[in-house]
Amino acid sequence: MTDTAEELKQALNIAGDALAEKPDGTVRLIGTECADCGHRVFPPTPVCPECMSENVSRIELSETGTLYSWSAVRIAPRDWKTPFIAGYVDMPEGVRVFAHMVDIDPEALSFDMNVRVCKSELGAESDGTPIESYSFVPVEEKS
Amino acid sequence: MRDVAILGAGMVPFGKYPEKTLAEIAWPAVKAAIEDSNVPKKDIQAAYCGTALGGMMAGQRILKTLGITGLPIMNIENACSSSSTAFREAWIAVAAGVYDAVVVIGVEKLTKFGGGTLPLEKEDFEVAHGLVMPALYAMRAQRYMHEFDLTEDHLAKVSVKAREHGQHNPDAQMRELTSIEAVKESRPVADPLRLFHCCPSGDGAAAVVICAAENAAKFGGEPIRVIGSEINSGKYMTGFRDMTSPEITVRGAAQLYEEAGIGPEDVDLAEVHDAFAIAELLYYEALGFCPRGEAGRMIDEGETSVGGRIPVNPSGGLLAKGHPIGATGVAQIVEVVRQLRGQCGNRQVEGARVGLTHCTGGGVSGFDHGVCSIHLFAR
Repeated sequence: MTDTAEELKQALNIAGDALAEKPDGTVRLIGTECADCGHRVFPPTPVCPECMSENVSRIELSETGTLYSWSAVRIAPRDWKTPFIAGYVDMPEGVRVFAHMVDIDPEALSFDMNVRVCKSELGAESDGTPIESYSFVPVEEKS
Repeated sequence: MRDVAILGAGMVPFGKYPEKTLAEIAWPAVKAAIEDSNVPKKDIQAAYCGTALGGMMAGQRILKTLGITGLPIMNIENACSSSSTAFREAWIAVAAGVYDAVVVIGVEKLTKFGGGTLPLEKEDFEVAHGLVMPALYAMRAQRYMHEFDLTEDHLAKVSVKAREHGQHNPDAQMRELTSIEAVKESRPVADPLRLFHCCPSGDGAAAVVICAAENAAKFGGEPIRVIGSEINSGKYMTGFRDMTSPEITVRGAAQLYEEAGIGPEDVDLAEVHDAFAIAELLYYEALGFCPRGEAGRMIDEGETSVGGRIPVNPSGGLLAKGHPIGATGVAQIVEVVRQLRGQCGNRQVEGARVGLTHCTGGGVSGFDHGVCSIHLFAR
């Protein structure tokens, strides 16, 4: 019996929440930065993979990043809404984040476009429990 | 370190054997390899068994059916590179003089999972967010197609070539020819990849017997020499890695060519890890068979078909031969042994003297691949 929501929660909680909710309703991803060597990672970890220091602190990543690549995924383990768009987003802090792209057709995506982090329902358990996590939406370009 | 030679090779046709146990799938391959080697069963001093999802003590379960017990049996997991890793470990042991003759097994039974994408480790952050292997390769493909001259037709041509080779391989799972149109009309999996761009799921086993080259003559036959053995893990990169060039293969190939004292131009054929059509194209470049950005041209001009400049995956590769993941590394070696012996009939690479095998394993976030093992062989 798969339990994707629980597995996701555990993965997000490897070293604390990877997602922070702001008072204005927006969300930010949380990474860690090593106080000794400056190396940054996402998701947060208790130890720096560069220098093994445990002197790491949580940092809030920027609200927007750029889309490195993506794919509309049509076959995936059950519980996920298919098709979904998987992508890699490059954040200004120098980390690459795997994420679902939501609220857009894959045809409307373009390389290196600006995308904004959000929180959304990515699937549901067989009993209806929603699977929620961070995701990204394209930033609306002001014309 | 002593020189090491392969004396015997065997495999079972890759396919779907849901009614058989792992041991029932594997023992005929092991028996075939031992008989092919002329090494008496009693002279086999150790066994190395690679399987990713075969469960505990796969080697013991397989070898007891043939009465090969009471010897050291090492069971090795390294995802899709499980049995190429097992081969590498066996090579080290024989080269170091620890053992004189050992058997290496690769085995997998994926039908027990009932189909679909490969089950990955759910503790991984990206896997927990829905990453599946086709999606990862699809994102590599998308970015490569953006940066270089590569079209959906190029991707389809890899699958067409795989079937053209595979039709002549009795051990291949997919032996029917296909066409560019049929590939492009097959079911979408993860854009731009479609079903025929993806290796089939299945079961299978392969085995080889290796010994110290100095002892090979007493068993007769034509030994195939191991002239280079390399394994690496990927580099964990949290930043912006270039997904159009598989760093672990680039790095490993450079190390291997230096160790063997040859270059990519000396390789007569290669069995590479074409789990998805885009992968084979990336490896043309990573293994040095062509400069960056020219993979599409290579497949267009037929350079990697049997009869071409550097035939890649004459067995049909993972796309046509199949990919029971833990079995793949040794199965690639079985093909190279047969090619170097001139036993491959209609898919024979004429005059082949040097062959390369390349096997990767992925599915861990932050790595280009978790593991990659490359070997070079010569007759």
